[in-house]
Amino acid sequence: MDKVLNKNLEEYKELLKNFINTQDERSLYKVERMSKSFIRNSVLPEEIVNLHIQAMDELYPDIANSFHHSMNFLLEAMISYGLAHQEFQLLREQQIALKSEISIAARMQETLLGTEKPNIDGLDIGVVSVPAHQMNGDYYHFLKGNDGMLGLAIADVIGKGIPAALCMSMIKYSIDSYPEESMRTNVILESLNRVVERNVESNMFITMIYAQYFPDESILRYSFAGHEPAYYFNAMKNTFEEVNTKGLVLGVLPNATYSQKELELEKDDMVIFLTDGVTECRDDGRFIKIQEVLNLIEQYKHLPAQDIVDRVFKYFEKLQDFTLRDDFTMIILKKEV
Amino acid sequence: MTPQSFVTVYKEWDIVGARQIAREMAKELGFNVVDQARIATAVSELARNIYLYAKEGQIHYEVVETMNKKGLCVRAVDTGPGIKDISLVMQDGYSTSGGLGAGLPGVKRLMDEFDIQTKVGEGTTITTTKWVRL
Amino acid sequence: MNLTVNVEQNKARAFVKLTGEIDVYTAPNLKEKLLPLTKIQNQVIEVDFSGVSYMDSTGLGVFVSALKSTKENSSSMRLVHLDERIYRVFRITGLIEIMDVHRAIKGGEE
Repeated sequence: MDKVLNKNLEEYKELLKNFINTQDERSLYKVERMSKSFIRNSVLPEEIVNLHIQAMDELYPDIANSFHHSMNFLLEAMISYGLAHQEFQLLREQQIALKSEISIAARMQETLLGTEKPNIDGLDIGVVSVPAHQMNGDYYHFLKGNDGMLGLAIADVIGKGIPAALCMSMIKYSIDSYPEESMRTNVILESLNRVVERNVESNMFITMIYAQYFPDESILRYSFAGHEPAYYFNAMKNTFEEVNTKGLVLGVLPNATYSQKELELEKDDMVIFLTDGVTECRDDGRFIKIQEVLNLIEQYKHLPAQDIVDRVFKYFEKLQDFTLRDDFTMIILKKEV
Repeated sequence: MTPQSFVTVYKEWDIVGARQIAREMAKELGFNVVDQARIATAVSELARNIYLYAKEGQIHYEVVETMNKKGLCVRAVDTGPGIKDISLVMQDGYSTSGGLGAGLPGVKRLMDEFDIQTKVGEGTTITTTKWVRL
Repeated sequence: MNLTVNVEQNKARAFVKLTGEIDVYTAPNLKEKLLPLTKIQNQVIEVDFSGVSYMDSTGLGVFVSALKSTKENSSSMRLVHLDERIYRVFRITGLIEIMDVHRAIKGGEE
């Protein structure tokens, strides 16, 4: 650091002398460049004041004593700024390290929880799931049974970030261990509830939907655990109806029970699943009404399911100035034939 | 002024005296203006810690010399409550600093060498040295 | 946006008046003040939501852990004057079935 300063003393002195004589903008521009190089080299503010004192002493040896003292006073006043600056640098480095750890964790989450949209006879599936921060607290999982049946889990862990993501992995591996095809949706939720209740902190809980679609019968069976209602679009009548079952969020009571309902889908009918990141979207403090979401879907109903969810997401992303406040997940199942 | 001396810190104004001795010794040893100010600030911080948390203690000053360098060693000694978690108080951004960059991490930065001995209920001794830049 | 948590304790009853928004930033403060009350045996706690304009799921988490704590400590908690939006959250999550929750109704409480 001393070398940098000595090299700079001459240059600084020249600039200062020039400026005192001419008050030209050129010197000011040059000192701006110099100041940036000081920052790059971690030169502290008190050193710069000292540089100034030395330059002035050399340029004007008979400078007034009062001025000289005032500069030493200023130097003293800069010491704590220097310390705060060093602390800030260090915290910034730590933050960069943390961020990179989190992004590794986020990539691991993607790998661990990754799921692919399966091909189901006669069913068109659209999915959008975008985290508000690096880690997604919303979760969805598709699985395809031997008889062509579709299993769909959608969950929203309260709390965001890393704890939520860890909780997701637990859910996923529990579901994976079930003989899913032979289990009713409500039994799956009851079983997951016990796992969650035993393993999460008291202020954590999960809202969840478990649904199964049987292409041979065109029937959707579903159970809800405290989750936002889904919507059924009846293509014939061109109407939307709320779809849900009563049931407590997972993780609150050890022996909560759930019920199952079913719905028969006709051609062009849709079922729209979402998380509260969709309904909690806020536009300038105003809450988005679900009706707005449904109107959009109605407007795009002739499009493939993926295009519908993409357009709805783009609309709300724009409405929120491209900064999501909550994770956003929407899944549409559309019956093709 | 002797090469070895101390001040007792009891009132807030004692901090000023502690700073002043540090600055004078630093000047005499040939520290440059910036380092004089840094040493004074470090001593100020140590004395203030004594005043705030231990109520009473001393700041000891000693000129240290080796074959090829000399410096100023400052020791802050108190019989106060001691520090329960050293790694916590040495952490940047810990509450006593509140983003002001001060506190013990600040002292460590201002000086070249830093050591802390503490026992809960018995007190704390902080020894810190700065060498004259040649 | 901030949240003020005003606690008035009157023998076995505690009145907690909330004003502001309950979200991920303000929930820790709420939890810090609410949870100790639930740990007092036989304490009856009433939480007044009339000044609350927004609550996210983190806020709901605080009330879930408070509920669990009342069960462990035989205290009780009652939430009153919830606006429609916040009441809806308790309804959808199924929590109204297991908690004492009352919405605000013009001209009096439900």
